[in-house]
Amino acid sequence: MDDMPAIRASGIRKRFGELEVLRGVSFDVRRGSVVSMIGASGSGKSTLLRCINRLEAPTEGEVYIDGVPMGFVEDRGGRRRARSLAEINRLRRDLGMVFQQFNLWPHMTALGNVIEAPMRVRGLPRAEAVALGEAALEQVRLAEKRDAYPAHLSGGQQQRVAIARALAMQPKAMLFDEATSSLDPELTEEVLAVMRDLAQRGTTMIVVTHEMRFAREVSDEVMFLHDGVIEESGPPGQVFGAPRSERCRQFLSKFIGQAR
Amino acid sequence: MFSDALRESVDLSLFWDYREVMLSGLAFNFHVFAASATAAIALGLGAALLRVAQALPFRVLGTLHVETFRNAPDYIMLVWVHFVLPLLLGAALGTRIEFHPFASAVIALGLVYSGYYAETFRAGIQSIPRGHLEAGRACGMSERQILWRIVMPQVVRRMLPEGLNQLVSLFKATTIVSLITVPDLMYRVSMVTATEMKPLPLYTGAALLYFAVVFAAASLVRLASERWRRRILA
Ligand SMILES: Nc1ncnc2c1ncn2[C@@H]1O[C@H](COP(=O)(O)OP(=O)(O)OP(=O)(O)O)[C@@H](O)[C@H]1O
Ligand SMILES: [Mg+2]
Repeated sequence: MDDMPAIRASGIRKRFGELEVLRGVSFDVRRGSVVSMIGASGSGKSTLLRCINRLEAPTEGEVYIDGVPMGFVEDRGGRRRARSLAEINRLRRDLGMVFQQFNLWPHMTALGNVIEAPMRVRGLPRAEAVALGEAALEQVRLAEKRDAYPAHLSGGQQQRVAIARALAMQPKAMLFDEATSSLDPELTEEVLAVMRDLAQRGTTMIVVTHEMRFAREVSDEVMFLHDGVIEESGPPGQVFGAPRSERCRQFLSKFIGQAR
Repeated sequence: MFSDALRESVDLSLFWDYREVMLSGLAFNFHVFAASATAAIALGLGAALLRVAQALPFRVLGTLHVETFRNAPDYIMLVWVHFVLPLLLGAALGTRIEFHPFASAVIALGLVYSGYYAETFRAGIQSIPRGHLEAGRACGMSERQILWRIVMPQVVRRMLPEGLNQLVSLFKATTIVSLITVPDLMYRVSMVTATEMKPLPLYTGAALLYFAVVFAAASLVRLASERWRRRILA
């Protein structure tokens, strides 16, 4: 039971019309580990994350969360049937997602954003959701901004609220899609610090990022995605220090000075 | 300095003498307004949701609704609903049908303004960034929860100024219901004119009354909602 990966992607393919964006991606994420996903723009990183929590349905392949398939259920006779949207919604609670554009709901305060899903989706009573939400805001060091509306928060603060919103659902794993890419450099650090913190506490994370230093320091494993396949993967020391793939070497050479 | 005719036409004493008759007429304007506004907003939201639906038949239905009613002059719609629609329905059902004037007024104005509201709602719904919906889905929210908790609260704030203008138009449009004998303020004005033979001061009085009501109500709503509405903006 303990060697069951928190997330398993198995043979994921995704096609948008003629364009095949993912061409057979398989990997495991061990519980409590951090996997960084790097690769050029258009290589399919976002699509892969979105296939994992099924914002996109993979054309082929399956994602397992703690061994439970996201896309189908098997009855006792071994017959498969596709999951309903309601069942998928239920499984999605277990995966927190953080977007490049924060995507906070502007008509709710920071705390309102954070307690919305615990109340509506998990059905927690308000007081319990607030306690959970305040703890989550505390964790991203924004307890004092609980009553602020997103329009009055900096980008870094908004992204931290978005992280708290995902954490408040107490997910099994967190997915970060370029969480710092739309932030000014001085705001990037405060978000990365929160992510480092989460990693240290043993949160299972998949992090799509262009922050090579972060990937190198924090990840247990780094995957280089190229053209819809994992071209190279391994411990950060190996991928950054001695990449085997020529493409990976080329990609990393653009970040010289950042990672090494 | 002023001609007698002009002086008489702005003299409000005659209107004042009939104030109770006039105010009870205005009450009919309010009733028609409230009922048709409710119908217009409900139908408009329904049509807007059809227009942004995934399935093509729904979208076609929504577009049909909008184009039919938005392009119908309210005056003609009123007459048509009151006089033609009962005949059509009667023929279909094989009985004699008659609409109460009040019902006809509400149906006609409700339908016409639902066309406008549908477009306002649709624009509002489509202006909500996709990412807001995806953030909801990623938290496990259902599409219904996303609609009512994330989309609509923002839509209402965004469309409030335009929606309010449409309410003002709708209230002004209630002045045509006397055409099918709803006893509203305009109806009373023509009744009193028939006995007093002095239409101009009565119309002046009615104009001022309508203006005062619309201006006061619209200003009040704007004032009360502006802060709440703007909080979501930077
Ligand atoms: N919904 C969609 N419909 C059609 N094509 C899509 C869709 N989503 C993504 N794509 C295409 O899939 C390819 C991979 O996109 P994706 O966003 O996954 O790349 P990425 O690695 O995240 O890039 P970036 O670093 O720019 O975020 C791109 O060519 C993109 O245009
Ligand atoms: Mg991307």
